[in-house]
Amino acid sequence: MVRRILTFLILTLFVSLLVLLPMEEISAGSESLDQPWIFGSIQDSHGQPVKGVTISLLSESTPNTLTSAITQSDGRFAIQSPEPLPDQITLVFNRPHFRQFKLNLNDNELITVKSGNSLSLSTIIMEREITTAFWIAGFVFILVLALIATGLLQNTLAAFAGASLLLAISYLGKPITESLHIFNFSQAISYIDWNVIFLIMGMMIVIAVVENTGIFHWLAYFAYRISGGRMWVLLSVLMLITGIASAFLDNVTTMLLMTPITVQIALALNISPLVLLIPEVFASNVIGVSTLIGTPTNIMIGSFGEITFNDFLFNLTPGVFLAFVGLVIYSWFTYRKDLSEAKSSSPALLEKLAERGKITNPDNLKKAGWIGGGMLLLFIFGEAIHLPPSVTALIGASALLIWIRPDIEEMIGAVDWTTLVFFMSLFIVVGAIQEVGLISIIASQIGNLIGENLILAMIVVIWLSAFLSMIVANIPFTAAMLPVIAYLSQIVPGAETKVLYYCLSIGAAMGGNGSLIGASANMITAGISERAGYRITYKYFLQKGFPALIITVSLSSLWLFLRF
Amino acid sequence: MPGILCAIRGGPSSQSTITTSIQLARDIGETIYFLYVVNLDFLSRSTSSKTNHISQEMEEMGEFILLGAQEQATEKNVSSEGVIRDGQVADEIISYCEELDPSYVVLGRPQEEQEDNLLSNERLKAFTDRITDICQASVILSS
Repeated sequence: MVRRILTFLILTLFVSLLVLLPMEEISAGSESLDQPWIFGSIQDSHGQPVKGVTISLLSESTPNTLTSAITQSDGRFAIQSPEPLPDQITLVFNRPHFRQFKLNLNDNELITVKSGNSLSLSTIIMEREITTAFWIAGFVFILVLALIATGLLQNTLAAFAGASLLLAISYLGKPITESLHIFNFSQAISYIDWNVIFLIMGMMIVIAVVENTGIFHWLAYFAYRISGGRMWVLLSVLMLITGIASAFLDNVTTMLLMTPITVQIALALNISPLVLLIPEVFASNVIGVSTLIGTPTNIMIGSFGEITFNDFLFNLTPGVFLAFVGLVIYSWFTYRKDLSEAKSSSPALLEKLAERGKITNPDNLKKAGWIGGGMLLLFIFGEAIHLPPSVTALIGASALLIWIRPDIEEMIGAVDWTTLVFFMSLFIVVGAIQEVGLISIIASQIGNLIGENLILAMIVVIWLSAFLSMIVANIPFTAAMLPVIAYLSQIVPGAETKVLYYCLSIGAAMGGNGSLIGASANMITAGISERAGYRITYKYFLQKGFPALIITVSLSSLWLFLRF
Repeated sequence: MPGILCAIRGGPSSQSTITTSIQLARDIGETIYFLYVVNLDFLSRSTSSKTNHISQEMEEMGEFILLGAQEQATEKNVSSEGVIRDGQVADEIISYCEELDPSYVVLGRPQEEQEDNLLSNERLKAFTDRITDICQASVILSS
């Protein structure tokens, strides 16, 4: 058993290293160090560094490229001047989806290089070029969103098919016409945010241990017991438990675990389970925003925007708390009549409920508690040593596995590979629209609309995210919005505090409350509820959820306006 | 004693099915076998592939629903049992029918608004015919 665990851990670390090791290309060859260098950096029209630009050094005296280099991820390049140095030098910059740029060195620059000194060029701006690939990548992205929204294809299958289609077009189309090329395989892979993937994977392992301890049943029964028949207490405590669990686990897992036991509590009280389930799923979507690990969208935002666990705690949690208070009041007001009709049912059902409300594996729960506490400390204090959250999650998961020695195959099975493949595929699909410049255009349009008004920018990002998250899946939406937010954070004065990332976080997650298809947790809750004979229709969810969206997003926005 | 198979999934729409089967059991003096089928098709609406643990959770929820139905039967002095199956609802009803060989099968008639009901009106006739063919049971539809 120990050997199997060790093998799994070693394999995981090995794969991690392979993936996380820098894969930067060397920009210049091993030319003689005596020759002077020409340095420079390339940016797009948004001031973002452009990676992978091929710089060719040409001269009228020879038709061949004298020397060449490729820009790094920070857009910088260093190209060594040839020997002997010709009288005229042209630098040609080429990259797919950008217009070719040519730069002739002027006399002064040539003299500098000829005198043996290195030359530093001013920043070069390359303009985007719209090709056929631009339209194809955009179409595939919209197609994936539509397939997910309509349920015609399972989410992962839709994203996976989209990523495959983009690569197939790139490789099969390129021999026909260069304009069909979107990106190559290594470029596509470079868009995958491995910090997100490994953070989610590590947390899945921890969750797999926690969910088998019976803690959720115990907590739900605890809520029932302490309520003592006061339904407002039961409703509030259940919402709080679901919310806090969602702040540390993903919302879908929380609702998968909370919904069945909540249905049982509702049946034992002779009320419709929807009266408790709907507020619970609202709370899950709202409080999940309060931490870096609470929602997949926050994990993505944190990784992309370099926002730490503490940043989320200080900048979002108070606003989320405010929204939660508003949500509890709204839920009580909405369901007060149904809740007042509650009455205890037969002793047999109550006995069964009590029987279920027990911790089934206290030993594992204790261990998971210690490890979870340690992870929390690392999330909070790890930023001092630049410890990425994904590493904390992997350390926690590994420590827990070694401590509890589970069946390793069962643990591997507990990792939701479908979700991980969904994320990887989605990053590639979103990477494609980033590669071809679609996101830059969208960012420019939004930038033009907003101007330099921070308040307007915050309002637009929050409410646009909230309303769009009602219709399209919030994970692909967030992935696509991140580069847009990065651009807006550069151009809008005051937005360098990363406030727009928090606006995206609130809008994308709380917007999920606006419609049944707005969040996966909603769909899962509806699915389980339907299996218990209580159907949550789109109309019903919209009626209850839309006001909840308005209330929670407004209150959270209020906090952000005060905070920033 | 063959018994009465009553397939339920809980909620208000199952109440008439439960009442009908209890009434029938009292009339003919047979045991009711309440059947709840755990079906995880709804997971396809998310990216989640976590079926092991949720299956157990759903079984426990099903047991609770069955317990509620059994309580109602006990109140009317009717003997009953609860049975949980995993899979597609229609297939599991047929399968349990073959095993149990009941004299009656009581099913809920689908409501109009529940368009995705597995026993939708179009398929109901074919389904009841299939039950009759397989286990010779009489099918009663409650509404």
